[in-house]
Amino acid sequence: MADSPQLQGQDSPAGWLEVSLVVDGELAEAVAEVFSRFAPEGVVIQSTGVIQDETGLVTETGPLKVCAYLPEDSGLGDKRQRLEEALWYLGRIKPLPAPEYTRLHQKNWAEAWKAHYRPIQIGKRLLIQPAWVQEILPGRIPVLIEPGMAFGTGTHPTTQLCLEILESFLQPGQNVIDVGCGSGILSIAAVKLGAGKVLGVDVDRQALDSARYNARLNEVEGLLILEEGSVEQVLAGDFKLRQAPLVLANILATVIVRLLDQGLAELVTPGGYLVLSGILEDQLEGRDGYISVLEALSRHSLQVVETRQIQDWIGLVVRRI
Amino acid sequence: MAKKLKAIVKLNIQAGKANPAPPIGPALAGHGINLMQFCKEYNARTQNRMGEIIPAEISVFTDGSFTFVLKTPPAAELLKKAAGIPRGSAVPNREKVGKITRAQVREIAEQKMKDLNAIDIEGAMRQIEGTARNMGLEIIE
Repeated sequence: MADSPQLQGQDSPAGWLEVSLVVDGELAEAVAEVFSRFAPEGVVIQSTGVIQDETGLVTETGPLKVCAYLPEDSGLGDKRQRLEEALWYLGRIKPLPAPEYTRLHQKNWAEAWKAHYRPIQIGKRLLIQPAWVQEILPGRIPVLIEPGMAFGTGTHPTTQLCLEILESFLQPGQNVIDVGCGSGILSIAAVKLGAGKVLGVDVDRQALDSARYNARLNEVEGLLILEEGSVEQVLAGDFKLRQAPLVLANILATVIVRLLDQGLAELVTPGGYLVLSGILEDQLEGRDGYISVLEALSRHSLQVVETRQIQDWIGLVVRRI
Repeated sequence: MAKKLKAIVKLNIQAGKANPAPPIGPALAGHGINLMQFCKEYNARTQNRMGEIIPAEISVFTDGSFTFVLKTPPAAELLKKAAGIPRGSAVPNREKVGKITRAQVREIAEQKMKDLNAIDIEGAMRQIEGTARNMGLEIIE
């Protein structure tokens, strides 16, 4: 089996000392500057309270918490002392509270997120399953995913919308093109749901590494064409598939509008369907200064035949006449 | 209805070098967001500015999703560059480590204007001057 594309943490000390200080907004930058001298990897400035009004406008309320992390190595005692001295001098200019210290054990924080990643049942037949979960759910088609450095773990509403639409619209043996394939989740699901040829493209090489890894994991690598590129390359005939009756683009509203202008709809065989997702409700009609997806669709004489929604996210099925 | 916001986390980190170690790991893992997705996207968007500190302001929503925007480098970074000093003073009230002109302060204020909650350029300049003094920089005409 190939190496996982997952990135691991770098050289690891035994643990870390978290230093934090709660200050008002004006002092936060000065404290962050002091911290950054001792923690060159970076400093965190976190809100202690936020309010969001009905228009979505966000305001931070209350003070800010400034944090830095010092590795627990032989230099820690000295560093801590010099840090306290520097804060003391800063406190002479403007009063500061005392810093707080918390010990943290070294762990793989990226892995920690995986604890939240569980099998997800989608639609009537699909089961998105983390690569390390062994259980089998009778009657469900498993799609195994190793969550690496690519989008598409099945946890996001946009991916769920696309998977559901794919399940309802795909006819057996139909070809599929997946633009912006990310982890390959939609392409792999298409193969497993009985598609003919499936082409997944992405402009990001890391996404392709991840998609190829996941294709092998699902033992469908021979049934799937995964290539680096976008709409223009597909249209130019660079890959084995140039058109398909079902085309998926689960990206972001702004990118979708741009790809439509580049000829995204021409990838769809006349009479076929284009599935668009990654669109926020407000972006559909272009509210609040957002780009309007519906306006772009009408500009390209495309008609929406179905709209699905999970939370604020929209999935559209568009028919090419 | 807009998504429900849980927290705003600002990371002052090095362009193109985000990884799951501290500070990013512990700062974000607690919010249950997909760390690798953030690192990947941050690195992709900052790789043309390696060597600079490019803050990312992350909005974390209650459903575990997030969005982020890149901010201008911290005022302290811009001040260090303008004054040609490697770091601020350890004793800013007694030991001055460099000088900076009011014109340089104005230039930095203009660059950072959109990220500062200042009404006008004079207000932004006062904030930059405050940071400069806290670092042991003397402001000259």
